[in-house]
Amino acid sequence: MEIPGLQMSTCLPLSWRLRRAALVALLLGLWAPCKIIWEQRIAKEQDFLRYRGAPITLQLRDQLGQGLTIGVLSGMRSIVADLIWLNVTTAWMNEEWFRMGGYINLCTALQPRAPVFWDMGGWHLAWNASISALHDRTQPNELRRIKASRFWVDKGLEIYKRGLENNPTYWRLWSDTGLLYQQRLKDYRTAAIYYQKASELPNAPVYLERFPAIMYGLAGDDKAAYASWKALWERLTPEQREQKAHWKEKIESNIRRLEPKLSIPKEKRVFPN
Amino acid sequence: MISSLHRIITIGRNTLTEAVRQKVLNVLLVFALVLVGSSVVLSELATPELGSSDMFDAQIKFVKDFGCGAIGLFGFLIALLSTAQIIPQELHNRTIYTILAKPVRRSEFLLGKFFGIVLLLTLCTALMSLAFATTLYWQESKALSMTEAAYAQNPQWKSNPNAVSSHEKDVQSVLKQTRDPQIVEAVILIFAKLLMTTGIALLISTFATSSIFTIVTTFMIYLIGHMESTAREFWLARGAEASIWQSGLVGLISLLIPDMNSFTIVDEILAGNKVPWSHALNLLGYADVYLIVLLGVSIVIFDYREI
Repeated sequence: MEIPGLQMSTCLPLSWRLRRAALVALLLGLWAPCKIIWEQRIAKEQDFLRYRGAPITLQLRDQLGQGLTIGVLSGMRSIVADLIWLNVTTAWMNEEWFRMGGYINLCTALQPRAPVFWDMGGWHLAWNASISALHDRTQPNELRRIKASRFWVDKGLEIYKRGLENNPTYWRLWSDTGLLYQQRLKDYRTAAIYYQKASELPNAPVYLERFPAIMYGLAGDDKAAYASWKALWERLTPEQREQKAHWKEKIESNIRRLEPKLSIPKEKRVFPN
Repeated sequence: MISSLHRIITIGRNTLTEAVRQKVLNVLLVFALVLVGSSVVLSELATPELGSSDMFDAQIKFVKDFGCGAIGLFGFLIALLSTAQIIPQELHNRTIYTILAKPVRRSEFLLGKFFGIVLLLTLCTALMSLAFATTLYWQESKALSMTEAAYAQNPQWKSNPNAVSSHEKDVQSVLKQTRDPQIVEAVILIFAKLLMTTGIALLISTFATSSIFTIVTTFMIYLIGHMESTAREFWLARGAEASIWQSGLVGLISLLIPDMNSFTIVDEILAGNKVPWSHALNLLGYADVYLIVLLGVSIVIFDYREI
């Protein structure tokens, strides 16, 4: 039903409308460069804070498939990564290690600043996959099994190291890398470096403080082990030494054992007697 | 001025009432609440047979991702569907003629409609956030009870200061993630993004002849908005080297389409990374100014429109 004269009564006069349109065009003209500058500033801040995940490349698009790519493009990057992680769990339970490795790479590429993916991904590869390879009876001999196991350890190590590049303040990744060097690669000296770094980070558990000294001891580097024990002893206040009573004995016994062994002069010893 | 504001509020309240009565929006809201609630199950699927405290991080991340993801996704659908219907529905029901025959300016009509959608989105976001907070609390209780159970199973730990300290840190770690005040920051940013989507849909609906056109076009702009940063960087860095068509296209995208990708910092917040409030406020300011521009253009186009 048409109502006569309605348009005239609800629309503004033409001259007013043109004037307003010109004003909006002017505002838009002023806004566009401001918008670009503002967005560039936001992008710069986000780059500085390392907020950006992997850009959508053709390779990533092929790996994700059409549906998940739309998900990522709609700003659902974290949910897409989480859904892919469900596939990691399935692949792990089915012992499909190569498939699992591919999914882990995809998740970490989508959310490089989510330490959980690096942490669990590294653990799946360096431990679950490598231990499984070590017990793989389909391999013709022990040498092949060891080689396959080492392959997965290296893959896990790679994940941990890339994770550390993206999340340098997450203590658990440093500690897990140290553990890998210690238990799977038997490289105690490198393990000590990672444990040391882990123990210095916020929220790290106190027990990690002793690990570097223990690692140096296992590596046979008594000098470094002594320096580490001594530093640990000196860092503790008398009150802390009391609080950590059971530690005190361990630290003390190690220092007492190493001082004569390294022929430390009496005046430089922590325990001269 | 006050009477104008009164008219805007009245139209807004009516828009909210109409929207609440729509079954589609209610169904969407129910789906959103179900998804938020089911995030606990999904988090368990992601880490089966794992009960150690290390895995709580992953489970809490899943709950947070799905909770905020549901608010973003269903909020987007609610914003899109409700805004796209505003003008076509008024035209179809011919109620717009009755309203505009009264001393109501077209700008007031449009702002009132926008205000109504904002009220609707506020209501839906609040409801979904409440469901999200409840789910998070549930996850927190589960993680804490498992930590406590592990602690209780080993009475010797109580005499070991290291174990006591580790246990306290586990509890703190769970609480730090579930009671992170930055989650509020994330929800506010999601809401700002929803308002921008509403602004775009409103602008398109002022000249669109059907709801479908508005829905499809807004969705496309939303997708392009997530790639605007790539287009902008290309245009600024290599625009001169590209052909005039390429340069013109990416230039147009850069100048007109909002940068939706910046709002994906919500993912960083949910992953537990610190996002300063100054940065969030910068983004909110950007969204506000953009919204004012969108509403301004919408009013001018709607003034021109033949009804």
